[in-house]
Amino acid sequence: MAFEVPKVSYTGKIREIPLGREGSTVTVGGESCYSFHLFEGEMPYTPKIAMEVYDSEPEDWSDTALEPFADVIKDPVAWARKCIDTYGAEMIALQLASTDPNDKDISADEAAKITKKVADAVEVPLIVWGCANVEKDTEVLKAVCEVCEGKNLIIGPVVEGNYRAIGAAAIAYKHTVVASTPIDINLAKQLNILLGNLNVPDEKIIIDPSTGALGYGLEYCYSVMERIRMAALVQEDERLQFPIISNLAKEVWKTKEVKVTEAEAPLLGDLGKRGILMEALTAQCVLLAGANILVMRHPEAISLVKQSIKDLMTGK
Amino acid sequence: MSKIICSAAIRGARNIVGMAEAKYEEALKKWGPDQKIEFPNTTYYLPIIYGMLGIPVSTLGDVKQVMDKCNELVPAAVSDNVWLPYLAPALEAGMATFFAEEIIEAIRYLEEPDFYTKGEDPLPDNIWLGTADDIILRKRGVEFVDGTAPGFAAILGAAPSNEIAVKIALELQEKNLYVFMCADHEGKTMSEQLIEAGVQIGWPTRLVSFGPSYTAAVFAMGFATRAAMSFGGVQPGDFARNLRYNKDRIFAFAMPLGTVTDEWYANAAGAINWGFPTIADTPIPEILPTGVCTYEHVVSNVPHDKIVARAVEVRGLKVSVTKIDIPMSYGPAFEGERIRKDDLYFECGGGRTLGVELTVSKDMSEVEDGKVEMVGPDLDQVKEGDKLPFAMLIEVAGRQMQSDFEPILERQIHHLVNYVQGIMHIGQRSIMWIRVGKAAVEKGFLLKHLGKVMHAKYHQDFGNIVDKVQVKIYTDEEKVKEVLEQAKRVYKQRDARVEGMTDETEETYYSCTLCQSFAPSHVCVITPERAGMCGAYNWLDCKASFEINPTGPNQPIIKGECTAPVLGQWKGITDFVYKASRQKVEQVSAYSLMNSPMTACGCFECVATILPMCNGIMVVNRDFMGMTPCGMKFTTLAGMVGGGNQTPGFLGVSKYYICSKKFLVAEGGLKRVAWLPKMLKEELAERMKPICEEMGIPNFADMIADETVGTTEEEILPFLEEKGHPALTMDPLM
Amino acid sequence: MGLSGIEIFKKLPKTNCGKCGVPTCLAFAMKLATGQAELDACPDIPDAVKEEIGEASAPPVKTVVIGTGDRAVKLGGETVLFRHEKRFENPPAFTLLLSDKMDEAEITTRLKKFNYTVYERVGVVLRPELVAIKAESGDASRFGTLVEKVCNETDAGLVLMNEDTEALSQVARSCSNRKPLLYAANKNNFETMGNFAKELSCPLAVKAGNLEELFEVSEKLIAMGLKDLVLDSGARSAKQAFEDQIIIRRSALLKKSKPFGFPTIVFPCEMADNLMKETMIACQMTAKYGGVIVMSEIEGHSIFPLLLASMNIFTDPQRPMAVEQKIYEIGATNESSPVLITGNFSLTYFIVSGEIDSSRVPSYLLIKDTEGLSVLTAWAAGKFAADTVATFVKKSGIEEKVKHRKLVIPGYLATISGELEEELPDWEILIGPREASHLPAYLKQLKI
Repeated sequence: MAFEVPKVSYTGKIREIPLGREGSTVTVGGESCYSFHLFEGEMPYTPKIAMEVYDSEPEDWSDTALEPFADVIKDPVAWARKCIDTYGAEMIALQLASTDPNDKDISADEAAKITKKVADAVEVPLIVWGCANVEKDTEVLKAVCEVCEGKNLIIGPVVEGNYRAIGAAAIAYKHTVVASTPIDINLAKQLNILLGNLNVPDEKIIIDPSTGALGYGLEYCYSVMERIRMAALVQEDERLQFPIISNLAKEVWKTKEVKVTEAEAPLLGDLGKRGILMEALTAQCVLLAGANILVMRHPEAISLVKQSIKDLMTGK
Repeated sequence: MSKIICSAAIRGARNIVGMAEAKYEEALKKWGPDQKIEFPNTTYYLPIIYGMLGIPVSTLGDVKQVMDKCNELVPAAVSDNVWLPYLAPALEAGMATFFAEEIIEAIRYLEEPDFYTKGEDPLPDNIWLGTADDIILRKRGVEFVDGTAPGFAAILGAAPSNEIAVKIALELQEKNLYVFMCADHEGKTMSEQLIEAGVQIGWPTRLVSFGPSYTAAVFAMGFATRAAMSFGGVQPGDFARNLRYNKDRIFAFAMPLGTVTDEWYANAAGAINWGFPTIADTPIPEILPTGVCTYEHVVSNVPHDKIVARAVEVRGLKVSVTKIDIPMSYGPAFEGERIRKDDLYFECGGGRTLGVELTVSKDMSEVEDGKVEMVGPDLDQVKEGDKLPFAMLIEVAGRQMQSDFEPILERQIHHLVNYVQGIMHIGQRSIMWIRVGKAAVEKGFLLKHLGKVMHAKYHQDFGNIVDKVQVKIYTDEEKVKEVLEQAKRVYKQRDARVEGMTDETEETYYSCTLCQSFAPSHVCVITPERAGMCGAYNWLDCKASFEINPTGPNQPIIKGECTAPVLGQWKGITDFVYKASRQKVEQVSAYSLMNSPMTACGCFECVATILPMCNGIMVVNRDFMGMTPCGMKFTTLAGMVGGGNQTPGFLGVSKYYICSKKFLVAEGGLKRVAWLPKMLKEELAERMKPICEEMGIPNFADMIADETVGTTEEEILPFLEEKGHPALTMDPLM
Repeated sequence: MGLSGIEIFKKLPKTNCGKCGVPTCLAFAMKLATGQAELDACPDIPDAVKEEIGEASAPPVKTVVIGTGDRAVKLGGETVLFRHEKRFENPPAFTLLLSDKMDEAEITTRLKKFNYTVYERVGVVLRPELVAIKAESGDASRFGTLVEKVCNETDAGLVLMNEDTEALSQVARSCSNRKPLLYAANKNNFETMGNFAKELSCPLAVKAGNLEELFEVSEKLIAMGLKDLVLDSGARSAKQAFEDQIIIRRSALLKKSKPFGFPTIVFPCEMADNLMKETMIACQMTAKYGGVIVMSEIEGHSIFPLLLASMNIFTDPQRPMAVEQKIYEIGATNESSPVLITGNFSLTYFIVSGEIDSSRVPSYLLIKDTEGLSVLTAWAAGKFAADTVATFVKKSGIEEKVKHRKLVIPGYLATISGELEEELPDWEILIGPREASHLPAYLKQLKI
């Protein structure tokens, strides 16, 4: 018996979605095979990494995560610039954490102002992520859409409870939406259908199937991403043929394991390198499962993941 | 279709087109064909013309082809002795009317640049706002898309008095509708009436004074047309999609107040193209049958105090209730509260007094939305420790409502009432029991507030099937007895309906894919006689669930041709399951354990499996912890069967299904059952009786072994032999 | 797809003798069908039938065992390409590479680290499993000494790597009782190596320059009667290795290819010049089908995240992991610290305890056994009912630890609060937030 490479026959393709403003768009998606299965299909656009920027000075960050940004953490604009100028960020993800009613609860207008400033200061595509409070996000992200008209921001999380309001604003002011659902392929599909019914154009939708950190439910999002990809590529499920985003950094960096010192837990090894690898490995897993955009924090973790993408794409 | 209306509309359209033609000729002479004409600050040219015809009018010269189109569209005047026209010519006349009016208004912008203000608010010396520019369109249009403003009322003319004008405006505002105003009635406009009454108008208050002439109606229609292009991705000139978008999404209607002139008719006819019906306060002829609009086209002679409610109903607008107006906190956190004796102020039902709850559906005309009727003393008239009889009769109406949904809505009463802080609710139907705590009474809680709760929650949670809700709360014994009698009749009918429903009588079954999150290829097929294996969803629940959430986990499946009646296989079901299981399950039987059995999720109430030695079947429920004759406990079985796989010989079933006539028909049905846990057997005893009698073995239940007989096949076989269990002589299972 | 339980059952003796450890033949058949039992457990199946069932129900990727006793490592046994399709069976064995060129002190340190690197999480022991000893010095005695040292200092399974078949066989003979993996047979030496592995009954690695060669050599070894092979396609770049791993697994599953129906061995240690990058590649191999994953070093910061990844990927998607039922003390608790209760689904535990931790409000977290179900599911299944919760609270010993009597229950279970108050008359039941992420805010404002 001779050996023969068993190939999958793909019947679908992921949509190509251009992000960011005209003239400097970054395209994601376009795969006609599972991630990095380049021996049987194409991946015309490599997965992209968006670097996190917070709308106000973060509290409770580990030193590892804080250190690279210590000089800019009070100023989102400077922070974003540093990500681009020093670390070569391909995208920025502005986390509007202080809009959270359980946190600083800053107003929608204030959040929109900060976003506008960052949006004006960066040329790369800008992801704007709310605090995941359905009502507050509605208010904030609508305001953001309005003040940043035409910049084709990537706005999320858009959930079943607010997709109409944010979706409508995204249509009006021409932004892309992140359709966010809690680790369930059918809910993901359903929300995409609802967004379609609302007339959000198909080239303006990114899927967020939720992310858990390494050791904190990563396997659930890993599998839901694989299932979404499978449905999209081989099971003719058109409403799932969208690129996937994974907002992983904040999940990783809140775990206990990135904060316990080596003195407290010698077996866990070097604190700094451990945190970086916790983030990079989480990213590596979702990357293999099908993520197209990774929201990440630590420059060294990012550079490891970039290297890994390059290795898998080009074989060096 | 009323010939009178059509004739009038056509006459009006001819007048308006003639007027536009004259204006156009005059302007052409004065300014020449290269003169620019436009609505200010828009990229949509003259939006109705652009949207419908795809013609970007930017100069006077461009108007020519539009005028030609108008003349082509407008039919000849109607002669009195022909039994025509029908709707179509009137609609075309209406379309031409809007084109002509846009031309008239565009020329007005050219000739009198300051006729309209250019902003969101009226000015002290000029209240007419004119067309909305693109900034207003985008900002306000978002509200139309996300539903915060479901639509608009285009009001022509004026109300008989300022007070009535204010009342109508206020009611429309309460429904979150925009009010677009134009035209006068006997020299008076609604916009002026509102200003005289001290009401602030302008875009921010959603009371928009477009213009003094009926031709300003095109600003409203232009807004709708642009919304479709801007938010619906509709291309200019794609009139069919543009009109459909408006019909489906913009809940607008025309409301002429005062004498309806030919020109008004022409505008109303035009609006019907967009799916916008007309609701008039004067006795004009009506056009009731549905066709272009979702429901009626023209409804007339509506009293002013009913006109908004009627308009909302005719346009099919959903009422949204955001706030529950009661003096107590409300939410799921209070669901489990207990009211103990020491805290008790008042109670009803629960065997202490007569008590009943009933939800029934009624005709749209019989229900007044939001009405809460209280007969008998309320909590402010009783003393601590009192008990009273109680009845809550909820009457709902809705275009999508079916009497089949009544029990589903009624079942919600329990948790919806329980969500009220300080109230405890137990049971349902005529065994309901309510306790009200002292703290609630101190805060001013009344029984009639329960009506408000039910009204608000039915709208919030079941808006897709419920349009109107009224609630009657009685503590008067006679009234309670009446409701109780009514309830008994209704329950009987409902039970008969469920009994009478068979898999043969229904063509549509339902899927449930709720569990696919952990059982990726699992698809439950739910038929009238085979409830979901979790026991939580029967066929009616699925039907309602689909109406409420059309993109949700319960989808209708047309069963199609029956390919194997005994196994329970249908072509439509097979195809659906193949697709919904993502190509994992190629064939599924609704009634078989051995042959392509249904996949199982993990949440089944019971597992059925074979007992090879006894040639029978056993069923074990989740609560039975002990060993069973198949050699596996429930938990082991559950591990083997779940996860969305087909496992011949093993099946997840609901308790209800065990006593269904369709229970494992392929294997011989209930007759095959050789072992059940005692508690399950007792639970099913009542429902099993008639089936046993029908089988001709009235004492069949006694032949079924349980754990007291044995928990191995060896132990139960002699028992089965002794009893002469039918399974022993049936065809071999394998 | 293997045989269904019923199909297997039909071939069993139907004696319900119970000798296999389960009460009935039907139950045994089901266990066989789901890969939870071995055919050999039944003493009464005729050999012909055994072969028939074995053939049809054996996993397409054969299970191979390296090492013995407690430290025996099972690899392979896989039946699916994606974990959601059923589950992955045997997590990869992270392996420490030692070379006979290293100096002794270095080796001692590394071995020590290897030995004490053991973690426990959700009751599961996580550790690097194997030691690979590689002959690089060219000195057969150095290799022999090193193997001996390793044998003395650890019980872990071994991978013996030597291109010199003669030297390898000598050393292997001395420790064949440890069932080491012999690395490796290739297209030139497969006959010698094959016979040798057969003689010692040790698993044998097959190394080739590419997939085709691997296929051929493996096929020949199977023909020689070898049953326990481990495959090395020779790929030493992330991309090539990724591709090879996928093709090997797919061939085994989709084409029933016997030569590729074995676990694999991969070498991140030869694919990177630093441990960080090496860890990334090892992670890739963990997700996509690596068996023995050979690492140049075992360091906590690298191996711990890798073991977490492995644990996540190899968790059975249909069987939730559960944590032990008990009181968990988070932070420096005292007698007036808040008391919260939730179910024992491991993810629930991790997330809830993580949020409490980040709230910096020291708290007692009571974890009730809900058979690994999440809170709402557990409640629906009667595993989080007021009476059982109350029994647990009373028996847990929390009443001795705190002065107050306030218990925070998950927001989604507000519905049991009334009943619970009746069951626990001394306690005041507080409704916590519905989402764990709101716990920090909740705890900060909570007054005990």
